[in-house]
Amino acid sequence: MSLIRLDRVSRYYRMGAETIRALEEVSLTIDRGEYVAIMGPSGSGKSTLMNLLGCLDTPTSGVYELNGLNVSEMDDNQLAEVRNREIGFVFQTFNLLPRATALRNVELPLIYAGLAAEERRQRALEALERVGLGGRVNHKPMELSGGQGQRVAIARALVNRPSILLADEPTGNLDSKTGMEIMAIFNDLAATGHTIILVTHEEDIAHCARRIIRLRDGRIASDDPVRK
Amino acid sequence: MRFIIELHEALLIAWDAVRANKLRAGLTTLGIVVGIVTVTLMGTAIQGIQRGFRQSISVLGTDVLYVQRFDWFINSHAEWLRQQRRREITWSQFKALERQLNSARAVAPMVDIREAVKYKNRSATGVTIIGTTDQFLVTGGVGISEGRFITPEESEGGRPVCVVGAQTATNLFRGEPILGSRVYVGGHPFEVVGVLEKQGEFLGAFSLDNQVVIPIGQLTAHFVPFPDYTIQVKVGDESRLEDVREEVRGLMRKIRHVQPGDDDDFAINQQDQFIKTFNRVTGVIATVGLFITGLSLFVGGIGIMNIMFVSVAERTREIGIRKAIGAKRRNILIQFLLESMCICLFGGCIGLALAAPLTLALRRLMPATMSFGLVGLSLGVSLVVGVIAGFMPAWRAARLNPVEALRNE
Repeated sequence: MSLIRLDRVSRYYRMGAETIRALEEVSLTIDRGEYVAIMGPSGSGKSTLMNLLGCLDTPTSGVYELNGLNVSEMDDNQLAEVRNREIGFVFQTFNLLPRATALRNVELPLIYAGLAAEERRQRALEALERVGLGGRVNHKPMELSGGQGQRVAIARALVNRPSILLADEPTGNLDSKTGMEIMAIFNDLAATGHTIILVTHEEDIAHCARRIIRLRDGRIASDDPVRK
Repeated sequence: MRFIIELHEALLIAWDAVRANKLRAGLTTLGIVVGIVTVTLMGTAIQGIQRGFRQSISVLGTDVLYVQRFDWFINSHAEWLRQQRRREITWSQFKALERQLNSARAVAPMVDIREAVKYKNRSATGVTIIGTTDQFLVTGGVGISEGRFITPEESEGGRPVCVVGAQTATNLFRGEPILGSRVYVGGHPFEVVGVLEKQGEFLGAFSLDNQVVIPIGQLTAHFVPFPDYTIQVKVGDESRLEDVREEVRGLMRKIRHVQPGDDDDFAINQQDQFIKTFNRVTGVIATVGLFITGLSLFVGGIGIMNIMFVSVAERTREIGIRKAIGAKRRNILIQFLLESMCICLFGGCIGLALAAPLTLALRRLMPATMSFGLVGLSLGVSLVVGVIAGFMPAWRAARLNPVEALRNE
């Protein structure tokens, strides 16, 4: 059974009198362990798709099944629980809490999962170790470089052992050398069996993945494996 | 367990948020501070007045009935006119009551007048001269600090002896030996046989220590031949107060020949009446005070609500992040509610800190102490204001759409 199954999913927005069709009947399946890049020019619907895949938003019509759960009909709190359990987000702007240390940032999903302090700390430290930041756990985001900040974000995304890592332009705010370091982490995670979905508009970043889905005007324009 | 973890986290965030904006939080709490200062001072003052009042009227005795011609509290002019027509309470009525009443511990007649008292070349004017019997020692609840009280034999006539109040003693004798000396009350000589213990003031109005007690026989012989008596009945046991009261009432009706069906033509007063009347007054003060306090807390609460809206707006992105990684609505709601409660509690503490020295200042006027109950009430009120003021902003934060919140810069 596939991990993600979208069946004719549409998402419309109302802008005054106008209806914007951000996604139009998109059907898509992604299996466990896949490494997928979603590409497309701005306005193609890739952010909308990412928000839907990440359970931050629900479709106007169609069915979204994640890990066997019909996510399209869940309410706010149920979605929050699914996000907490199943999805690890990595954002372009890192989105770390500025006043919290790296460790506390990484612990955050575990707090909402209701884990006790000792276990939280243990797992957060492991995750930070995994992204090579074992030595900077008590630094605040301001005291970290961009690459380090994004590593903290990846550690936070990993800490709850989610089904999917969802990365939205993860290298967008980084120079190309740091960007490649971050991609190396994702490649490594993919190699160890994590399911990763990258949203990007950079070809070379997308070519790290093993499958590229291209969107245009709210529809899937192409869906091809990457030949290496 | 899970809830405790979430609560702990929310508390940390809230505390952090307050610390991050110390000045803002401090200024915002001003309204609460004012409110809490008012609450505590009001409460302290009312409690202080009450305590002072109770102390003051305790000289009346909780278990003493005062049989008199007039009621202590007359509510209407018509009633006043009616009571004016009552006959006086006479010596023979007192004697009859004393003889027939078995259930009371002591019965004493009492008549008081104002006279000048002289000792050598010193004199004190406006001294309360109380004419009574030896039983007054029991019914009046007074103590003797020096010498003795008047004896039963002296009570009804004979020897001109007197017992002086503590203040009169100090004023007239100024340290000279008192017992056995001679004072002149309204020109008549009396031998001092005792000094009363200090009693304080009654309702802050007049001193109970500026008095001279003389045998009732002496008072009628020299000053008022046919006075209107007050009969003090000491029950000796508060639980029997009502029974004795009824017995006294029945006896007095019989003694004064009140026809069945007619109203009493005398009054039986007791301390209780003072307390009831007084409680009505403090009740009114408390209601007015509560209104004023409520107003300042309301204004304070609006301030908190305002700043909480600002806080939510400032941290929209943070809310988005938290929601994206799994915070439920209640997590966000609790986080902001706790922030608002922290600010209010902070204000409450400042308020209490300010009220404490003011209470000390208040102590010059009345026996004021800030009670634990009042401190608890103040903190509780702060928290309630925090919850009420914080609810709307917190609710709005909890319902934010994560996609839009994350887009917020």
